[in-house]
Amino acid sequence: MDPIFLVEAAINGILLGGVLAVLALGLNLIFGVLDIVWIAYVDLVMLAMYAFYFMVQGHGWSVWVAGPATLVVGALLGIAVHLLIISPILTSAPINQLLATGGLLFFLQSFATFLWTTDHRSVRLSLPSVEIGGIFLPFTRVIPFAISILAMLALYLFLRHTYIGTAIRAVSQDRDAMALMGANPQRVYVVTSAVGGAMAGLAATLLSFQYSVHPFFGGQFGPLTFMICVLGGLGNMVGAFVASFVMSEIIAIGGVMFSTEMGYVIAFVVFIVVMFARPGGILARRE
Amino acid sequence: MKSTRVALLLVLLLAVAVGASGTRPAAAQGQTIKIGVLFDHTGAFAAGGSLNCWRGAKMLIDYVNEKGGVLGKYKIVQVDADGQSKAEVAINEAERLLNAEKVDILAGIYSSAHAVPLAEKVDKQKKFLWITTAIADAVLKDRNLQYTFRPQPNGSLFGENSVQYVAHYSQEKLKKAPRDVRVAIIHEDGPYGTGVAAANEAEAKKQGMQIVLKEGFSIQSPDLSSLVTKLRAARPDVLLHTGYAPDISLFLRQAREQGLRVKIYIGHGAGHSQLDKLKEAFGPDVEGFHTVDPPAAQLIDPKKLRPGVADLTQEMLKRYKAFEPNIPAAQIAPHVSMGFNNMWILLNDVLPRAIQKHGGFSADALAAAARETDIPEGGTLQGYGVKFQPPGHPMAGQNLRAIAAVFQVVEGGLKHVYPPVVASLGNPPVLLPPSSPWAAR
Repeated sequence: MDPIFLVEAAINGILLGGVLAVLALGLNLIFGVLDIVWIAYVDLVMLAMYAFYFMVQGHGWSVWVAGPATLVVGALLGIAVHLLIISPILTSAPINQLLATGGLLFFLQSFATFLWTTDHRSVRLSLPSVEIGGIFLPFTRVIPFAISILAMLALYLFLRHTYIGTAIRAVSQDRDAMALMGANPQRVYVVTSAVGGAMAGLAATLLSFQYSVHPFFGGQFGPLTFMICVLGGLGNMVGAFVASFVMSEIIAIGGVMFSTEMGYVIAFVVFIVVMFARPGGILARRE
Repeated sequence: MKSTRVALLLVLLLAVAVGASGTRPAAAQGQTIKIGVLFDHTGAFAAGGSLNCWRGAKMLIDYVNEKGGVLGKYKIVQVDADGQSKAEVAINEAERLLNAEKVDILAGIYSSAHAVPLAEKVDKQKKFLWITTAIADAVLKDRNLQYTFRPQPNGSLFGENSVQYVAHYSQEKLKKAPRDVRVAIIHEDGPYGTGVAAANEAEAKKQGMQIVLKEGFSIQSPDLSSLVTKLRAARPDVLLHTGYAPDISLFLRQAREQGLRVKIYIGHGAGHSQLDKLKEAFGPDVEGFHTVDPPAAQLIDPKKLRPGVADLTQEMLKRYKAFEPNIPAAQIAPHVSMGFNNMWILLNDVLPRAIQKHGGFSADALAAAARETDIPEGGTLQGYGVKFQPPGHPMAGQNLRAIAAVFQVVEGGLKHVYPPVVASLGNPPVLLPPSSPWAAR
């Protein structure tokens, strides 16, 4: 095969990795602070995608207006999920927490089917591609990648350089100690859920450039997102970022060198091997 | 006292014997026949044609009931079940329908991935299964199932027909002999996609075509860009694609954006036949696309059908308006016909014979009646005849008279273009139009 196609595959892997990173970071942020895995996280993304779709296709909003509005929708969904589902079970046994968020997943899928049927809905964005040396760079992937990198940078600055960001990091390190210092962890939880929800809204906007939305969209990205979070180390933001690109590159290059299915097989094998060697994730410190 | 106990025991034994015999005389069954209708109402398959099949089946059952039922007296009780686009759920729902709801007939099944495990399980229970939609050869091949029947064409016909169509027009449209035509085959990796792709490959080899790529993918793949990259490297003239629904949209988007260009694009059923959904995603760019499926009843010339059959097509179209009032007839997916027509064959041909000739609608009576079905060409709404392969045949239970048609999107609507027996266009465009974003120039 012409090496140019391998280069194209590598670039495609990077572009896919950017969007996966947004998904994984939102989920990991919530896990790091609340210590609960939102199984239904990608289904929140699905709801936000519907919101984006109806704003653009239904009401004719510009994507530049609908995009930020979808972030707000995501943040509100995040707060709602926290207050209605997560908050009452924060101190419950992990299995109960898992069952509750798993139940939410089925509820959201059924709710979306009930409201909007099983039809696949697409935001018809027709953006051009640029061809450089035989490699096609579609703007529907380049723009989401650029926005996702900027968003991750913004998240990093928010967590590092704002008071509430510092509080979020403090709670993620030791929630009991934070409470003993007189801080209110509940407020931090709500803000974290809002930020995680906004990341879901952002992911929804970016994914809508490339994917149709339907009630079972979560099945397409959910397993991969969790795998990335675990590979990077649950709660480890940098780990999730790195893992996103590791997995997307394996899938893209493995897909071209062997077969599409084999790309995923190799990614899963790498995941299993890393889990044996470093159960805490690729960036976990050895004890 | 002793004689009373003996009499009671005899009555009990008789009752058990009658209950276990499975051959309930029609008179003892009341005036209803329970049919379990199993399709995927939710999940990825619903919008890929399953819901339209269910609509077709339901419309026909309602129609028959309004006319007084089978033979004018047996009303159909339709018990719906949702396979949720998951094989394990479909199997559990089939068990529920058969053993809890005690349906007399299990009908429907959209996905071959569900039909393959389900058919064997149902057959082992000696229950009657009527498959209206799932096409994979593997559902029946070399299994010698006794109670499973499929009026629908099988997957091999799909795969062979599309390649024969390309061969038929290669010189005229591609300006190449078949041996010079470069063909790529991509398919979802379940029994449906794998079976159709295998038939594509075998027929392409038979025609001497060059197969430049053959590759499977999972319908859950979040990214198909590497497949597109490989296709670009392979430079096919013709792309043969077998997928379900969301994967088709994803592939087409990524193919368009990554610069994949071909001369002929042929999908094989499922999401490729849901023209209204494709148009919603891609607008007029779907012009020139192909799909392969059993003929759509509304596209068949009524003169080619037996007297009275075409009237039923009008009934189908009238009733479909209740579900989709704004879809023109030329854009209605052939899946509506599959549900309607194949249920009609069951209720209009098999069931009456089972009751009148074989004493009821037990699985044995129904199977015996199905084996005697002999509908000539033009005798059903979809144009094909019905005759099932007998027990012992490698494809026992398959309708040997079923045909698959190649459709092309022409002027925004579906048209039959191959084989000649159903073609409504003598000289179809075949090639993607120059305006198509996927067209090689």
